[in-house]
Amino acid sequence: MTDVGYIVVGWVVVVGGLGTYALRVVRRGRALSRELPDEDKPWT
Amino acid sequence: MKPMARGRVGTGTPATRVLGVVTLAAIAVLGLFALVLSPADELQGDSVRLLYVHVPAASLAYLSFAMSAMASALYLWPRTRRPGWDRLAGVTAEIGVLFTGIVLITGMLWGKVSWGAYWTWDARLTSTALLFVLYVGYLAVRRMPAAVDVRAKRSAVVGLVAIIDVPIVHWAVDWWQGQHPQSTILHLHPKISGLMAFSLFLGFVAGLLSFAWLLMHRYRLAVMEDALEAQWLDLAIEDRQREGTVPAAGAAAR
Repeated sequence: MTDVGYIVVGWVVVVGGLGTYALRVVRRGRALSRELPDEDKPWT
Repeated sequence: MKPMARGRVGTGTPATRVLGVVTLAAIAVLGLFALVLSPADELQGDSVRLLYVHVPAASLAYLSFAMSAMASALYLWPRTRRPGWDRLAGVTAEIGVLFTGIVLITGMLWGKVSWGAYWTWDARLTSTALLFVLYVGYLAVRRMPAAVDVRAKRSAVVGLVAIIDVPIVHWAVDWWQGQHPQSTILHLHPKISGLMAFSLFLGFVAGLLSFAWLLMHRYRLAVMEDALEAQWLDLAIEDRQREGTVPAAGAAAR
């Protein structure tokens, strides 16, 4: 495979970017949900 | 102050957990096909493997910004005005910025391999960079302190202005002849086929699943952010009211 470095960096950016954002959303969601009653969380 | 609730924690439900597992599986299968099973391109060599994430990310950025603009319009229209539309506009714009960032970085890497430079002032590249800046600005406007309704209306107007750049980005390759290639798949006779086309299809599937998962969780987070903001506002008003009565009572005592 040629240009491996660029391909690997590209894929790391995609998976890492999406993963980091998802993790941040989930963590913040867990933190905020502890401060709110269930009626403010209609999906529960 | 409301009591600290101890019910369900987080933004997940059984349905989003299933969606999350399916999304991770789709990303793994995409990785297998895009990086291992699909062949190198005759012209571009192995750098074509960036196409399987670059193109779907661009499409999802368009989708996110289109949804944001639609939600903004629905918020501005008095008959359909609901806080949920404003929330959806903000959430989809944020996800769109994430996908646009991915498009820019993977595009720059691909450009370095194909053209020998990370960046050229090609119309597609420039308008995409502008799109990124416009929506970062939109997110900044959403954070500017103001009354909830004022902030929502202001953001909706900015969102409707920013969306103008999306068709410019899309048709830039047709309107101005630059270095960026034209559409790979939106032709009567697509330029790729076989395992390469299937890998690209998997890229769209994995991208859409990721988008749906992120949207659901981020929207629920926004619901909680708004509820907390309303709670803080109630507390601030109560404090102000108390501050207003305390000196009066003190003065009466003197």
